[in-house]
Amino acid sequence: MNLFISLPPKDEFINTILYLIEQYSGFFIRGVLITLLLSVVGTVGGFILSLFLTVLRTQEIDERRDSLMTKVLKKTGHIFSSIYITVFRGTPMIVQAMIFYYGIAPLRLSFWTPLVAGLTVVTLNTTAYIAEVIRSGINGIDKGQMEAARSTGFSRSQAMFLIIFPQAIRNSLPAIGNEFIVNLKDTAVLSVIGVFDLFRATQSATSSNFRIVEGFFIAALIYLLLTYLTGKAVSALENKKPLKRVKANA
Amino acid sequence: MPEHILEIRNIHKRFGTQLVLNGINLDVSEKEVVTIIGSSGSGKTTLLRCLNLLNEPDDGHIYFLGADLMDPKTNLEQLRMHIGMVFQSFNLFNNKDVLENCTLGPIRLLGLSKESAEEKALLFLSKVGMLEFKDANVNQLSGGQKQRVAIARALTMSPRIMLFDEPTSALDPEMVGEVLTVIKNLANEGMTMVIVTHEMAFAKEVSDRIVFMDQGVIAEMGTPEEILVNPKEERTKAFLRRYTQD
Repeated sequence: MNLFISLPPKDEFINTILYLIEQYSGFFIRGVLITLLLSVVGTVGGFILSLFLTVLRTQEIDERRDSLMTKVLKKTGHIFSSIYITVFRGTPMIVQAMIFYYGIAPLRLSFWTPLVAGLTVVTLNTTAYIAEVIRSGINGIDKGQMEAARSTGFSRSQAMFLIIFPQAIRNSLPAIGNEFIVNLKDTAVLSVIGVFDLFRATQSATSSNFRIVEGFFIAALIYLLLTYLTGKAVSALENKKPLKRVKANA
Repeated sequence: MPEHILEIRNIHKRFGTQLVLNGINLDVSEKEVVTIIGSSGSGKTTLLRCLNLLNEPDDGHIYFLGADLMDPKTNLEQLRMHIGMVFQSFNLFNNKDVLENCTLGPIRLLGLSKESAEEKALLFLSKVGMLEFKDANVNQLSGGQKQRVAIARALTMSPRIMLFDEPTSALDPEMVGEVLTVIKNLANEGMTMVIVTHEMAFAKEVSDRIVFMDQGVIAEMGTPEEILVNPKEERTKAFLRRYTQD
């Protein structure tokens, strides 16, 4: 810590900001890293889990050919995925965080820290949103793709994995990028269970000097920088052209 | 008696309250080319799509090489591998290039090695005149080119029969010829085919038998001469009159 700078008077906005950065840079850096960790794990983990959910909900029941057991399993998958998505999209993440953290804390599991709870909640929450994104991606695929695959002799699930999912996921990438941006901002609510993200780091940095506006002005700039850069990356992804070119080697 | 590849027995199909197929019976022999004509709404596309159960008939039987596709215990995927299908809107796999479109089925379903699947694919791509586009992205092709790749894709599965659902209806007029030529060549090589088409001159040239459908039934069936030149049924005559006026 630099002991030569002391807290400036209250009306010196810029100097106060510089003071906070100087004094609490460690807090801000740690907060940013935690926020990034939550967003990356939440989005990547949510993407992976959403694929399982998508498999469950896109199972189609063949009335004539499926055995009763198969029908029951498929139906159970449909019901589970639809309840999951309704619940996680229909309740605030801040409420989910309270229930998960304090619900599991009494078991006294040593690994159940606020950070682990936060990572779990943001992942489970993002899963529901990305599952919806991928569903609309699948709906956007021409049904002729499935028909061509089925008429070739592929089973429905082979057709899904080989033909439909790759196209749906590729079309969904920009929307999944947007979920990452949403997570950068919305993980701030996880500070409620004590996760030391950028929001909580800023709270800590201003708790003894009460320069709350200046502190959160810094936080806002950092959030803005993160979302702006990610937004640029997402639109670069969106404008990406098909990979392969015709080779005129005739 | 020639072997029947396909035997269709009394199939019915409803969409909601509308009866689209009302008791269809039809046999297709080895190396035979059967063309289905009729006005839109007559059920001809539905009938074709029933032949590999893309549309499932409500009742009746479809015997392919002796196995009933309508039997729930039949391994439908196994049988579909031997029934090639070509669609009006091509339906090439958009996430695969031209060559991959033609090797996916042989590798995954027939168990061919990548090398022999590619060898086979290149053979059929050159047959339809698309060899030079083997590495192309399918979205860069014209309609006629896509349809020729779709035909090659179906052929790489070594089908016993090929189904064509209005293969030239989505094409610009100048591309119709290149696709019809490919289909005619297949007919000359003895491929068994069922073709739904609006191209009367093509039907006359390529068919062993023409089926005229009207309101969900086969109204008349016979040689191209019998159907197109000397039709007996009044509704066949009316259809052909309307058609030549257009």
